[in-house]
Amino acid sequence: MLRRHRRLRLLAAFTAVGLLATACGGGRDDDDSASDEGSGENGGAPAEVPGFDGETISLGVITPTSGRVAVIGEPLTNGNRAYWDYVNEELGGVAGQYPVELVIEDSAYDAPTAVQKYNDMKDSVVMFNQLLGTPIVNALLEQLTADNIVAQPASLDSFWVREQNLVPIGAPYQIQAINGIDWWVNEGGGSADSTICILRQDDPYGEAGLEGVQFALDELGIDLASEATFPVGNPDFTAQISQLQGAGCEMVWLTATPTDTGGALGKAAELGYTPQWLGQSPTWIGAFVESPLLPYLQEHYYWVSEGPEYGDTSASGMSELMRIQEQYAPDQEPDIYFNFGYLESQAVHQVLERAVEMGDLSHEGIIEALNSIEEFDFGGVFGNYGWGAPEDRNPPRANSIFEVDPNKPIGLGLLVEEHEAPFAADYEF
Amino acid sequence: MATVHALTDALRPGRRGPAPGLALSYADEIKLLRSPRRTPWRWLLVVGGLLLFLWLPTYLGDPGLRVLALCGIFALGAIGLNLLTGYTGQISLGHAFFVGVGAYTAAYFGSDHGWPMPAYLALAALLGFVVGGVIGPFALRLRGNYLVVVTLGLVFLGEHLWNNWDSVTGGGNGTSLGAAPMTVGPLDFKQGLELGSEHYTFEQSFFWLVWALVIVGALLAKNLVRSRAGRAMQAIRDRDLSAEVIGVSPARYKVGAFAWSSAYAALAGALYGLLQQYVSPGEFGLFLAITYVAMIIIGGLGTIFGAIVGALFVWGGRSLIEQNSGQALFDPLITSRSGEAGIFTIGELNAVLFGLAIVLFLLFEPRGLAAFWFRIKTWFLTWPFSY
Amino acid sequence: MTLPLPAPPLLATITGDDLLQTGFSGLAVGCKYALIALGFSVVFKATGVINFAQASLVLLGAYLTFNFSQTWELNFYVGLLLAMAGGALLGVVIEALVLRRLVGEAPATVIMVTIGLLFVLDNVVTAVWGPDNHNLGDPWGIQTREVLGVTVADRDLWTIGFTALAVLGFFVFFRYSTLGLAMRAAAFDSEVAMAQGIPARRVYRVAWAIAGMVAALAGATLAAGASQLSPATGALALVAFPAIILGGLDSPLGAVVGGVIIGLVQQFTALLAPEYFDWVGESFERVSPYLVMILILLIRPYGLFGTKEVRRV
Repeated sequence: MLRRHRRLRLLAAFTAVGLLATACGGGRDDDDSASDEGSGENGGAPAEVPGFDGETISLGVITPTSGRVAVIGEPLTNGNRAYWDYVNEELGGVAGQYPVELVIEDSAYDAPTAVQKYNDMKDSVVMFNQLLGTPIVNALLEQLTADNIVAQPASLDSFWVREQNLVPIGAPYQIQAINGIDWWVNEGGGSADSTICILRQDDPYGEAGLEGVQFALDELGIDLASEATFPVGNPDFTAQISQLQGAGCEMVWLTATPTDTGGALGKAAELGYTPQWLGQSPTWIGAFVESPLLPYLQEHYYWVSEGPEYGDTSASGMSELMRIQEQYAPDQEPDIYFNFGYLESQAVHQVLERAVEMGDLSHEGIIEALNSIEEFDFGGVFGNYGWGAPEDRNPPRANSIFEVDPNKPIGLGLLVEEHEAPFAADYEF
Repeated sequence: MATVHALTDALRPGRRGPAPGLALSYADEIKLLRSPRRTPWRWLLVVGGLLLFLWLPTYLGDPGLRVLALCGIFALGAIGLNLLTGYTGQISLGHAFFVGVGAYTAAYFGSDHGWPMPAYLALAALLGFVVGGVIGPFALRLRGNYLVVVTLGLVFLGEHLWNNWDSVTGGGNGTSLGAAPMTVGPLDFKQGLELGSEHYTFEQSFFWLVWALVIVGALLAKNLVRSRAGRAMQAIRDRDLSAEVIGVSPARYKVGAFAWSSAYAALAGALYGLLQQYVSPGEFGLFLAITYVAMIIIGGLGTIFGAIVGALFVWGGRSLIEQNSGQALFDPLITSRSGEAGIFTIGELNAVLFGLAIVLFLLFEPRGLAAFWFRIKTWFLTWPFSY
Repeated sequence: MTLPLPAPPLLATITGDDLLQTGFSGLAVGCKYALIALGFSVVFKATGVINFAQASLVLLGAYLTFNFSQTWELNFYVGLLLAMAGGALLGVVIEALVLRRLVGEAPATVIMVTIGLLFVLDNVVTAVWGPDNHNLGDPWGIQTREVLGVTVADRDLWTIGFTALAVLGFFVFFRYSTLGLAMRAAAFDSEVAMAQGIPARRVYRVAWAIAGMVAALAGATLAAGASQLSPATGALALVAFPAIILGGLDSPLGAVVGGVIIGLVQQFTALLAPEYFDWVGESFERVSPYLVMILILLIRPYGLFGTKEVRRV
């Protein structure tokens, strides 16, 4: 009995030692592994560089596949996967010759883990197809700048617009707020005398919504009547709803995530408070269609995002998205994050095509290719993004408004397509 | 049996002659290293360790060095926490708060104000010491589990502070340490050391810096522990009422333990900030606090070397799990949820394996790796009488 | 990277109605914390262990309720009872497989093992049910009724009802049943209890089973109504820590009182802080429970109802 225990303990000891030993995997390949002769002649086949072995292009993805953000990370990654499966199988890869491989690592939504994964991967990928999480992107931005690698941040924060090493897509949160407020005041039932308020998360995402709201209200000459904040995962919204109710808000701009949307609007429904809610794009999730909150949402909630309704095939990009989803991700339900993942891969694809054209897939080559693109075209699913050097970038300035319709996919039906406030173009990034 | 014993005599150096390993005076007892003749194995370990420290960065690749540098940072913090929990018996979940103090100090003074590295590192440790000293008195009133949750409250208070004190910490967005100088005299760690004709990378230089500080910190802690103060702390851990009766001042030693452990944590935090080049409030929360506690418990409470080994095991082990969970062994378990069969995603599998590793390890060896090591050592030393 | 934010506008004044409404919501939230804290308290009272894995038991209870009532389409209350049974079963399994081998080890070690279990269970739950949001499908929804001028949600009434029921159940169990008496004896001094013939193992198992049951109840109330069921549902269990501490670790009554106090403190902070104390930063209600806990501990170091530890030299 004792002997068996001892052997088990010895076994555990040797395993521990073995674990440490295998950590020291491989010798040190002497540096300068990034042989920078990638600056080939225009039109020539790109030289081999980190992430490109002459045949396959490797792209990095650092995303949470566990924890509370996995509900966003997974459909996003599925969108990435579906798009590249389509490119590899139907187009033969980038420029018809170079298939793309996604290297997917889990970040656990934890900055040190993400930084570690980034460092593990940075010498074996050409660029990053997806980095999810504002704190993750912030932490990695230093490294990206130092290593001169390009990444696609999977969020609509405005900080990314002027970063050389980032490829943001979509109209940022501030623009959503600007267009949403302008539309409601002028066409959606409000007026210049309306009491407008905001309910937001107490973090940078919430602050982004506030900035947009404040900008729009300043332009319209309206005062913000009340600002209510809440921590993520707030168990009870009575205080916030009471505050808004007390201020007599007729319209409330909502900057939150689905769980808190449910909590806040649920409490509002219970307390009998019925302003017009306008929510930013992350506030919605398909599960609301089966929630007891549905009737309240149908009457009092609009969703602000971009592009056409899901299923509206008059936009070429939309019909293609749907076809690719059905073929390469058949188990995926229509999901706004899947769409985002698909679109960000589309953007990355355009960058890679240009880089191959210019004959250089090295990190520096990607940057050059990136700056030489004039506009990102998303086939109407997202607004086209004016591109160029970082100082010249111009995000899309129009948003679409949706209402809740349980009969439509994702539960949202288009109300107004591509509304642009007259002053939306004036917002400076 | 006698022949075997005679033949293996040379392998058991402590037993030659009239028990040469026996300590005959107090001074001898508390020496860290006695003469090589009497404790050859220990000398071998020390010299070997030093050589490993010097040589390893020339062998390992940068990503591996980064992992080990982070392990070293955790080890430094764990040594501090062990002083508090292992030697003084005050279980604290608040270590993450002090790590944050150090990181933000380095960010503010180093990056925003451009202080030289020795200055802001020293200031980080000093601030940690002071803040720890302020928190210490709470331990005088609270015991055991009550102290645990109060220190947990400290972590949340800290998060609130980092999120809202925008002018210093950058608020929810966090702050960058990119501008912080990392030079000590002629040595520039950020660009990489240049010794003679050799140029080293940031990861290599930083590895040396961190582990040098770990060695210094470990020596300091070991000295503290084998001194009068250390005995007082252990007395408080074992039976604090009795200790008080015989004249050990609980106020002085409990507060002192908090102060010293927080100094270690803050220094670790500053180094962490330098490695990551960016810090944000979410990094100093409950998960970090739990990681530190895990390290000292798995390493072995009440030993300095246990803290270091625990840090290597927990963080290195977690990195290893993450690197290897993609392998074929786990394929049937892994799914990407877009139609593939399988149960866990990679992230979930990593977390489950990590949790299982903790549980299983503690089931087999509840007193940690250090106790495990002592068991092995004793087995060899007392062979063939090792039953 | 910090951008200049506009100054917050003048807030409306707070009415008496608001205070009443907040008081009720504080009670409701407090009862959710109370249910979670009860689970902690029972295990601690019987075994002396703070069980960090309680949060995953809460999460599992919520998902089990969802599974039984939605996926298997049973009646909601039947589903809830089955979920409670499932929770109890898991509690017993954990105790038998893991915790029993650690009897007598340092408390820090046992806490660490429960933390390891937390990692495992949380991720197993998301692996089985997926990371998406679901609706619990409870019959309470967002219906409300008027009570004494306050709008009261049915869901909150049921939460308070469940908590009251749990407290009553605990009282009756510990006071009048043999097993309850045995548990009290074992908690007081396990060696003497065993000498009297009380089976310590059974006591521990029952404690964990009760913790699992109460956790399932807590999970269901957390995910009910318009709040959706998601992997984040268990995160609220963290806030229960101040509740158990300020009530006294080994007192179930203390857990409930502590939970209610914490709930009230949180809600009133959320209401009053932005108006009167906005220099303190946003979302101070996340921190105020801990401050209240520290204040109470400074006066009563063993919590409101905790047994004072007798220390012998």
